[in-house]
Amino acid sequence: MNLLDVSNLHASVATDAGPQPILKGLNLTVKPGEVHAIMGPNGSGKSTLANVLSGRPGYAVDDGEAVLDGRNLLDLEPFERAQIGMFLAFQYPVEIPGVSNMEFLKASIDSLARARGEEQPNTANFMRQVRELAGSLDLDPAFLKRGVNEGFSGGEKKRNEIMQLLLLNPKLALLDETDSGLDIDALKTVADGVNRYRSQSNGVVLITHYQRLLDYIVPDYVHVLSNGQIIESGDKGLALELEAKGYAWLT
Amino acid sequence: MADLALPQTLTLSEDFASALGEPVATLDEVVQQALNSAAHRERWKYTKADRFLAQTSASAKPPQISNENQIGVSWQRQPIAQPMSGLDLQQAPEAFARLCFAGEAMRLDITAPVTEPITLVHSENTLPVMIYVSANASLSLIEIIEGHEEMQQSVWIDIGPNAQVLHSRNALNDTPASWQYLNVRLQDAARYRLNNHALGCGIRRQDLHIIMDGQGAEAKLVSAGMVDNKAALDQQITMEHRQPKGHSEQTIHNIVANGGKCTFNGRIHIHEGASGTDAQLSNKNLGMGDNATINTKPELEIYTDDVSCSHGATVGTLSKEALFYLTSRGIDQTAAQALLSQGFLRQCIDGPLAATALEAMIGPQNTSDEH
Repeated sequence: MNLLDVSNLHASVATDAGPQPILKGLNLTVKPGEVHAIMGPNGSGKSTLANVLSGRPGYAVDDGEAVLDGRNLLDLEPFERAQIGMFLAFQYPVEIPGVSNMEFLKASIDSLARARGEEQPNTANFMRQVRELAGSLDLDPAFLKRGVNEGFSGGEKKRNEIMQLLLLNPKLALLDETDSGLDIDALKTVADGVNRYRSQSNGVVLITHYQRLLDYIVPDYVHVLSNGQIIESGDKGLALELEAKGYAWLT
Repeated sequence: MADLALPQTLTLSEDFASALGEPVATLDEVVQQALNSAAHRERWKYTKADRFLAQTSASAKPPQISNENQIGVSWQRQPIAQPMSGLDLQQAPEAFARLCFAGEAMRLDITAPVTEPITLVHSENTLPVMIYVSANASLSLIEIIEGHEEMQQSVWIDIGPNAQVLHSRNALNDTPASWQYLNVRLQDAARYRLNNHALGCGIRRQDLHIIMDGQGAEAKLVSAGMVDNKAALDQQITMEHRQPKGHSEQTIHNIVANGGKCTFNGRIHIHEGASGTDAQLSNKNLGMGDNATINTKPELEIYTDDVSCSHGATVGTLSKEALFYLTSRGIDQTAAQALLSQGFLRQCIDGPLAATALEAMIGPQNTSDEH
């Protein structure tokens, strides 16, 4: 069975001037164990795809469907999508003063456990696990007491997203420009985290501008998104070709 | 609008009267004029003053005190014989009236650094409290407002040079009407910090007048308020910088929900000559549920150059971005809203009364497990 099936997806974003169509018949299939990279010029709809699949308010699905592990995603609230195994690593993780990282992570893991009828983790074990994960991503465990993403550098925010990915262990990870704003060391740390997450039972959709990330997270497929549709697909060689030639020869 | 009047004629001790510098024969008129001045009407624009004025002459008892038997502490009942520092009849005629009607006050003298916190519990209408903190002394003052009757408190704190007061106050009781008047004067290099936690009630009024009356004084106010279920809270703050190089910082977060009504007036007054003043105020209000009413007004009066002053008031709802972030991690909408509103208040809940305040304002605090 496919992990993710997106077919003929049409979606628009709400603007002051009315709905603006962005995705215009997008098709994408991800099987368990696969990593798909989605590249494309600015404005092609990359982030919209991530936002529509994760249920961010402000977008309307006009046609088509998206099925995750047999469930129609587009009918579900964002929290329900997370509960069936969807995860979005944010391009711009949100700062939430007054809510500590630890409190947030515990609320999240408890919600997911409840929804799945699983036992909620023992607090002491949970805290140990979180500290270890934080350490493995070069995050100072002291940050767990601070507000969610509060005062974090860009790189810390992205590493926090990857820590959540490893902790929540979703079926599908959507990474929206997780590499943007990272220096080379942070990029390696983030890529290492994603590689630790990868398994034969889950999938990764990697949205990126740059081929560089794909040196560290090697994709099975590379797709080029342009004007709301995937216009070219290939293996990692396609990314190298794009790096050398740009997008113009395709669009 | 009908004229505001006191419930009965003021009677003053001779000492008090002669020290006041106002002609005693016409004092009632002076108070009457002050009550009906434009500035005073503005301060009581969103809360009816009549009820509070009527209560100013009610009988009052001393608050319960604990830890007063320490070295450097004295606590006694005494007639009000002279105006206390910071008394401004024009600014707070109703607080002045309370002093006159009570005729007596509880006086707390702090003459050394005091190690154990001193707690005042007000469970009914209490006598005015005057606190004098000597130079270089320090005090941790805890104030708890409880009980379910109409009540008023007035507290006057005079902080001597280089002395320090950490003040924590919980006003979490449910009563038809409750008024806390607080006047703090800081002398040279004195430091004052207030952690204030308030729940709305029938109508809760909190007046705070801080006077930076010495060079390099520092005042910090942090306040969290929750106004739910048609309750009301009216906070009026005046921060007066009279001397150079003072530093004041105020952060006030209030949640107003379900028919609640919240009024906030934050005035910063920087006098001529108070150069090098740094005054910051931030008032954030979160409206939730149906029919929340929020009135907030920052006011600045600056009569000197060379000051740094920032002043902000916001009224908003929960951030959609933050809600989406939390829900995208599997947390349902209701739980995510609760986390965010708790976080909003928690930023302003601190000090020795934080645990009780969190419990009353946010619910049981169980960081271990929630089964």
